[in-house]
Amino acid sequence: MGLKRNVSLSTALGYKGQGPYLTFILHRIGGSALFILFTVYILSLLGVDSMHALLSNWLFQVVFLVFGLFHAINGLRITILDLSPKLIEHFRTAINIEWVVYVLVAGFALFVILRNAMGG
Amino acid sequence: MAARTLSIKKRGFTFEVFMWAFTRFTVIAMYGLILAGILGALSLSAQTGANFGDILYWAFFPNLAENPLGQVWMTVLAKLMVIAFVLSACGHGVHGVLEILDDYFTSHLARRWSRNFIITYAVVASLIAMYVIWTK
Repeated sequence: MGLKRNVSLSTALGYKGQGPYLTFILHRIGGSALFILFTVYILSLLGVDSMHALLSNWLFQVVFLVFGLFHAINGLRITILDLSPKLIEHFRTAINIEWVVYVLVAGFALFVILRNAMGG
Repeated sequence: MAARTLSIKKRGFTFEVFMWAFTRFTVIAMYGLILAGILGALSLSAQTGANFGDILYWAFFPNLAENPLGQVWMTVLAKLMVIAFVLSACGHGVHGVLEILDDYFTSHLARRWSRNFIITYAVVASLIAMYVIWTK
């Protein structure tokens, strides 16, 4: 990989890559979020009370479920397409299916978290 | 778009190919462990009468919850599965974070130190997780 980037951050943010680019960026954000979650989890295992309190916070859970679930579901699509190259022809369909699955799973997870947060 | 079908032989066995395979295999292991974990926890829940949520909570936070499983083999199996999951997640995450950092750090020195840091972090975090999960 080259060490020089010829694309500025503002240009990159304005890039109209549509669906595939959106999944690429969300996958990275999700992975970074899960890395933070992993760190909080390790600190919680070490007995840091504030980290365990953070893990129990509903807002924290919402943020990590939204991004973490996307990372997991998008990762499954990437793995399936990687291991079955013939399916790459249908990658846009796969992304559409992924969005449907994601909305259903994340919607249910958010419903459960918010219901618990409101004492339901 | 035409399908890309390049055999493993033609790809060669470079560091990139190894890490690609490693990342794929660790993520497949994680999906397998998630599925096995949910089925196992449901099964143990049915056998012991313990709450499904309590079993998963204790499995991931053994330092914060009482063991809801009565038998030793159940406890050992659950601990081994959680350790395997944490190690798979850590291995998978190391490569992912390195890939992101490589995109933003452009000098050789920054890349080298980011690699040193993230690999050291992964090893230390894995050791802590294994120790706490196994001993508590």
